[in-house]
Amino acid sequence: MKLTRFTPSFDLGRVADFDQWLRHPLTGFPAVGQLLGEFLPGAASGRLATDVYEDKDNYYARFELPGVKKEDVKVEVQDRLLTVSAERREKDGEKEQSYSLSRSVSVPENVKGDAIVAKLEDGILTVTLPKLEERKPKLIAVN
Amino acid sequence: MNATCCSPSTQATPSVGVTETLQKPLYTVTGNTEAFEVRVELPGVTKGNVKIDLEDKILSIRGERQTSTPEGWKALHRELSTVGYQLRLRVNTPVDEDKLTANLEDGVLTLKLPVKEAAKPRQIQVQ
Repeated sequence: MKLTRFTPSFDLGRVADFDQWLRHPLTGFPAVGQLLGEFLPGAASGRLATDVYEDKDNYYARFELPGVKKEDVKVEVQDRLLTVSAERREKDGEKEQSYSLSRSVSVPENVKGDAIVAKLEDGILTVTLPKLEERKPKLIAVN
Repeated sequence: MNATCCSPSTQATPSVGVTETLQKPLYTVTGNTEAFEVRVELPGVTKGNVKIDLEDKILSIRGERQTSTPEGWKALHRELSTVGYQLRLRVNTPVDEDKLTANLEDGVLTLKLPVKEAAKPRQIQVQ
């Protein structure tokens, strides 16, 4: 009794991979997410892959954590370093397997450290890092 | 039966006219003589965006990501893929399609495929 992967007629796996690499090259960015460790995204190797975004008010760091419960995620900020660690438990019949994943991302200076919030939804963790007020452009009304 | 798991890779579906890039999600298959369990990692996919089909012994799972990037967010660094997921598995044991159950929780889809009565091993009493 077996389930095998169905491959339609040809496999474009390699081509598609390369394509993807072209679309999302590992562009360096100045402040958030100075990568620690190796440079390849490798969720399978125990290191979480991350996306970092910003808008006018916040920085956002996103991590994929499928199958991880809220209580098994730890988000810490210390010395301008945001660390996300997650414990994933999987039941395989009677046995329970668990493995941990973590990732650190450096936090820019203009972040309100005490106002960071994290939300886990549909297997995606979004950490919102609010920017300090001073750095926002102030609109002055002309009288 | 042993659980199998594979590394994520992308695959393109040869569909008529449209070229669409989809990624193959990580998955695990476990099972016994009663039922199969397929666990598929679909982070970012909500309940309404999963399509499961079982046709011609091919179990096909599609997951669309709706919430990839909110408007106004500027990417500073990207490692995660935003493309949808597709997984196709050949089922070589007759399963009871009517009793197939699917549950999506925390970005993990769990499918249970009960094996058809006729395909279950039978103990034959020696007279």
